[in-house]
Parts: sequence; structure tokens; C-alpha cells
Amino acid sequence: MTAVADSRESRPYDPADLSSRAFWSQTAAEREETFAVLRAERPVSWHQPVEEMLIEDPNDQGFWAVVRHADLVEVTKRHQDFLSGEGIVMESIPQELLDAGQGFIALDPPRHTKVRRLLSSAFTPKQIARINDQIQANAKRIVDDIAGKGEVDFVTEVAALVPMHNICDMLGIDEDDRRKMSYESQFAGGWNDPELMGDQEPLPRLFEAMGYLGELAGKYIEERRANPGNDLISSLVQAEVEGEHLTDDEIISFFGLLTVAGNDTTRQSTSHAMKALTDFPDQRAWLTEDLDGRLPTAVEEMVRWATPIMTFRRTAARDCELNGQQITEGDKVVMFYASANWDTEVFEHPERFDLSRDPNPHVSFGGGGIHHCLGNQLARQQLRAVWHQLLTRLPDIEASGEPSYAIGTFFHGVNHLPVRFTPER
Amino acid sequence: MRIVLDKDKCSSLGMCESVAPDFFEVGDDGELNIVDSTPPSDKRALIEEAVAACPTSALSIED
Repeated sequence: MTAVADSRESRPYDPADLSSRAFWSQTAAEREETFAVLRAERPVSWHQPVEEMLIEDPNDQGFWAVVRHADLVEVTKRHQDFLSGEGIVMESIPQELLDAGQGFIALDPPRHTKVRRLLSSAFTPKQIARINDQIQANAKRIVDDIAGKGEVDFVTEVAALVPMHNICDMLGIDEDDRRKMSYESQFAGGWNDPELMGDQEPLPRLFEAMGYLGELAGKYIEERRANPGNDLISSLVQAEVEGEHLTDDEIISFFGLLTVAGNDTTRQSTSHAMKALTDFPDQRAWLTEDLDGRLPTAVEEMVRWATPIMTFRRTAARDCELNGQQITEGDKVVMFYASANWDTEVFEHPERFDLSRDPNPHVSFGGGGIHHCLGNQLARQQLRAVWHQLLTRLPDIEASGEPSYAIGTFFHGVNHLPVRFTPER
Repeated sequence: MRIVLDKDKCSSLGMCESVAPDFFEVGDDGELNIVDSTPPSDKRALIEEAVAACPTSALSIED
């Protein structure tokens, strides 16, 4: 049989459901049952469009699902075949939101290469080491604020605040603007979540959130242009690409990306780790035997376990092949990170939270390639700092109830997680 | 052993530097500098690890 690419309109859909709201309302463990079947039997499969899209898109006939670790890594590295510029979430997104909120994450070379380097300098190992004192101080301050309470909502009083303060320090955001900025950033990935949305309409609310972040960025751009400091906004205002300054819109777009990517990832990793440390007491005991020595390895497993971003999308630039399937130009190709992080070809007993797992080639920061997470070292440093504080000062902290999970296709979100501990004296 | 950098592929993420800071350094201008491009042979395992850590395959080893 010769492989002839079906046209999108007539291509049959895979029977496994990855598209419904019901599927994305399940827990990670329940979704994994579907992924396990696909990984074993149909590693690259064609699916119906996601239910409840943000916009009606008559050109959207569905998406390819990439569920194996090896295939995900391959898609990530074939950035000439699989483009980011048409959007990086499963849903079709209005172009003006793409422009406003996705920064260089939704750019392709050569522009991506140039603008990404501008930001790299803020995230190098040396720079992260330089701001380490600040990261430690933020972790300490957050634990100071809860230490006497004995019971808190871990997500809102710990996990959300760690990245919020660190990203805001890097950008040079005033204390008064931080909470609203962090709150609004959630809408970028949270439009499917009933708790976050209430009775608000997704698309207008998303525009409102991006509008707010844009105005906030505009205020700081103006301020730093007149009065530059040591922060990232000042660097961006002064930066040049090929002899030209960045436009305000470009800086606003980076601001949106950093706010969203910075806040909603480390928040989820910290929250899922809290739950896992409660559920696997032997792992916690192992970690605390030599906390600082073992945290670097443990953090990798926390990040694998959490898989804070569940999906990224690409769009095929041309007709090509992927693990035996004929992909047609314009097809959406979606990578499923939680599935790759549970691939038994790569991970022994992925269902075990094993803090000593080493090597741990998880894809939570990406499968390699040009879009690999810029903030990976920052995230690792933050997780080490907050877990050092928590486990030395509140050693019996544990989840005291079930977490409430957000519903959505992008972030593996935790809205609330009650915890209790012996108050610090 | 010589470390070779393909500047067109490098995204200056500094994964190499986090593995082998004595040999790689991303400057404040966002450019990767190879501090010592001909490391001694007893550093081979370390350099191989740093090269493998590059997400964009911008680094290689020439003998």
C-alpha cells in the first residue's frame, strides 16, 4: 500500500477521546489510561477538534496527537517542519491574542533566534546565581508569613507567591501590582476552568486580562525608558535587534509571556509536589535525610510528576512523515507532555514518585530544540529554595484534604490545596 | 579534543554552562563563549555531558 496523505476533511478520527471537556476534566491518572493505550498501539493519531473552542474556526478539522517520549522529542527538534508561529495551544486563537500574549514562544526562526537571545541574558546560569539571594529571601518571606498559622491554602499562600515574587523582582514590578498581575495571568491558560471563570465569557475575559497586562507593561515601559534600572524591562527598552529597538508591542508581548510562563508553571510544580510528598511519605523521609544534597535530584522528579504544561501545539509547515504517519501541510500537531513523562520505554515505574530517579530525562521543560524552556534554571532554583524553607521550618507540613484541580488543556493546574503543620514557635 | 560551537544553532540557554562552568560561559550580552575549547582528556566525560545537554545540538566534539 502506498502512503497517501488523507485530506484533513476525510481523514478518519481515532476512537480514543482527547478532545472532549469530559476528558480534560479527568485527573491526570485517568487521562493516563487513554495515553497508555495510544502509546502502545497508535502513537501518532488523528483526533477531533477540542470541544468548546475559544473561536469558531471552520479550518480546524482536528489535530495529530503525539504521545511517545521519542516522538515528542523529534517534533520539538524538527522546528522547520513543525512551526510555532500559528499558535502553541490546542485551540485556535484569534491572531491579536497570539501577538499579544505568546511572545517569542510563538515565533519561528530567524526572528525567534534574535529576540530570544535578548532575553537569554536574564536567564543564564550566572544571572540566576546572582539573583539567588533574592530567590532565597522570597522563599523565606513566604514561609515567614504562614509559619504561625498551622493551616493554609497551599496554592494561594505558598505556591502562587513563589514565582510571582521572583518574576516580579526580575521585571522590576512594584509590590502593589503583583497580586493582580499574577491573578490576571491565569486567564491565559485558564479559560476552560469553571472556578476561575465563574459566569464570565472566556473570550472577552481573556481579552480583558491581556488588556490589563498590556496596560501594566506599558506603564513600566514608559517609566523605565525615562528612568532605567537593573531590571529586565529596562534591558528590553534599551535592547536592539539588528540596529533597531524593540517596539512597545514587542516588549508587551514578552511581558505577557514571562508573566504567564513564569507564574503558572512553578506554581503547579510546587503544588503537585506538596500533594505527592504527602502521598509518598517514604520519599519525603528519603529526601529529608540529606535535604540540600538530595534536592537537586528530587526537584527533577517533582517537575516530571507535575508536568505543569500538558500540551504544546505545532503546525506542519509542509507534507512530511512522523513515525509512519503522513502529515499534511497545515495540520495541527499536539505534543502530550504528561504522556511522554509516563512513557515506560524511558521511565521505569513512572507511576512511582521516586525522588532519587536519575537519570530523569523528563520533558517538562521541553524535548530539546529551539523553544526549550528559557526559565528552567530559574524554576529549579525556586523549587530548591522553597522546599528547603518548608521542609526545614515546617517539617510535618502535609496536605489535609484533596486538591481541587483546574480544568483545561494547557496547564496542569491546582486551584486549592489545604495543608496543615505544627506552627513555628 | 576540541569543542566546536555552531553559533547559528546556539540559543544561549546555558545548559552547557550549568554542567561545565569552567568551559562554557554565557556572557551578559547573551553570547556563549567557550572558555577553553581544548579541554584536557580527563574532562572528556564532563564535556560530553555538557554537549549532550544542549537542546539545540549546537555543540560537538572534534578529535
